[in-house]
Amino acid sequence: MLNLRHISKSYDRTPVIQDLTLEIAKGEIYGLLGPNGAGKTTAINIICHLLNPDSGYVLVDGQLSTKAIKPLIGIVPQENLLYKSLTCVENLQFFATLYGLWGSQREQRIDHCLQAVGLSDRAKSPAETLSGGMLRRLNMAIALVHHPKLLILDEPTTGLDIEARYDLWDLIRQLQQQGMTILLTTHLLEEADRLCDRIGILKQGCLLAEGTVAQLRQLIPAQEVVLIQTSESERAIARGQAHGLINRRYGSDIGFWLTETRSLADLLTLFEGIPLDSISRRAIGLEDIYLEITHGQTSPPTQPQRSPVALSLSALERANHSLS
Amino acid sequence: MREFASERRQAGLQYGRETLAVGQRILIELIRRQRSLIAWAIFPISILLLNGFIMAQAPSQTLGQAFQQVAPSTLVGVALFFSCMGGPIATVIAEREHQTFRRLFMSPLSGLAYFSGIFVAYGAIGIGQGLLVYLVATCFGAALPTALGLGIAILLLSIAAYVGVGFTVAAHLGRSTDDVGALVSAFGVPLLMLGGAFFPTKLLPDQLLQLAKFNPIYHMTKAMVAVAANGQSFEQVKNHVLFLSGFALLALSVGWWSYCHMLRAERSLWR
Repeated sequence: MLNLRHISKSYDRTPVIQDLTLEIAKGEIYGLLGPNGAGKTTAINIICHLLNPDSGYVLVDGQLSTKAIKPLIGIVPQENLLYKSLTCVENLQFFATLYGLWGSQREQRIDHCLQAVGLSDRAKSPAETLSGGMLRRLNMAIALVHHPKLLILDEPTTGLDIEARYDLWDLIRQLQQQGMTILLTTHLLEEADRLCDRIGILKQGCLLAEGTVAQLRQLIPAQEVVLIQTSESERAIARGQAHGLINRRYGSDIGFWLTETRSLADLLTLFEGIPLDSISRRAIGLEDIYLEITHGQTSPPTQPQRSPVALSLSALERANHSLS
Repeated sequence: MREFASERRQAGLQYGRETLAVGQRILIELIRRQRSLIAWAIFPISILLLNGFIMAQAPSQTLGQAFQQVAPSTLVGVALFFSCMGGPIATVIAEREHQTFRRLFMSPLSGLAYFSGIFVAYGAIGIGQGLLVYLVATCFGAALPTALGLGIAILLLSIAAYVGVGFTVAAHLGRSTDDVGALVSAFGVPLLMLGGAFFPTKLLPDQLLQLAKFNPIYHMTKAMVAVAANGQSFEQVKNHVLFLSGFALLALSVGWWSYCHMLRAERSLWR
């Protein structure tokens, strides 16, 4: 449904996207993760034909990205870009007309979208009277009004309370069930974990890794991570290393990767003699994978492969080089 | 061939719908906010009343004749200036400030339809102001213009000229809504005075009168007063109308170019 082929983009000679290639299948939810400034929004702007890439090309539903593909795409931008003095219906009528909907077809789509986002009872309310969550849902309804094949969500739940977030996640799942292809950018790893079929991790404009969560988990040679808090961190690290454990910093915590599940008694024995303020353990999750990849500590595999999990060695090197 | 004609017809229809949608949206926003519409009604009416009563003091001038003389210049000079030039400036700056430009250009909206939509919206406001000014003027005994077609043509040319200039000013100088009042006043008031919007240009000294001939507002007021108040024909106002037509075309062209330039600049910010 969406193909990005060797996309590069620079601003004032600063590379923002570097040789980005990714493919999203029809009906898939693909999550694009990355820190601020990773190039997620620039990638979206290129897909939407708001920006032209310096090199490479984009295919949407098999068509080259030109103005003609705009009706195929629905975009929910980060900000609620709405006309605040217009009512929900008036906003939708305006945007539906721009997408070529007219007459009874337009009114039916508007009713359907308002119902889908749960704003039917606020149809006649000016946008400026809606709460933050409702504005976000109206923003979503505008993106859906022309029934796009590809929906792009740029941090859709940022700033929403937990209930509104769950409602939006439900809606995203429903849209997928209807066959819509969804590209999602988010900072919320839980959101990506729950919603996305596949995830791509972007840093400094390079796609460092992509795959399902299970596939990405293979990048970390561990089953679990044990987190400890101690006033004698140097001793704890030395002890872990002596037992062959890889250690990582998680804020003030020290994490040790465990290649196999160990009992709590075993772990306490391991750090015996070191004053522990706390100790906990958990399965390796998306947070660990994300931090590992974006902080560039993972040793790349000897033979980079695109499937089942793709880790681009050259991309990783480029990203780390531009950081240094 | 038939398919091509059908596609062209569909594209034309869609262009028309987009234009109307943009125009309608701007009008709804103005009606909801009310303040601009009220100001655009009060200002020309108050100038009309002041000028009408002042002109009526002249010997052998009835109140009706005085209002008939001042109504055309009040309409094209005062009323349209603030609505049709200030309005597009405010619209473009608001789109820029609220980033709705970005949303618009994610959609298939054509730039020309957006430009035309703004013209339609402020054209409607200008026509509304025309009706209001003449409604008040006739209440004081002014006669309605006889050459209605020519009068409307001058009115539309004036609106086109103002909208074009408004786009140019907004694209190059407007950064925030606070700028609107300052820009309109700085560019407008001297041009209005020199164009005969507040008092007849026969009161201007020779040097200023020569200068005024380069001022499009001078030609708007001259043409409109001649046609609407004095019943002159096209032949008699031809030079003013030609100047005004040339200026309107130039203003729209420069406005369109400025708008395209502004979009390129805006796109560079969408990172």
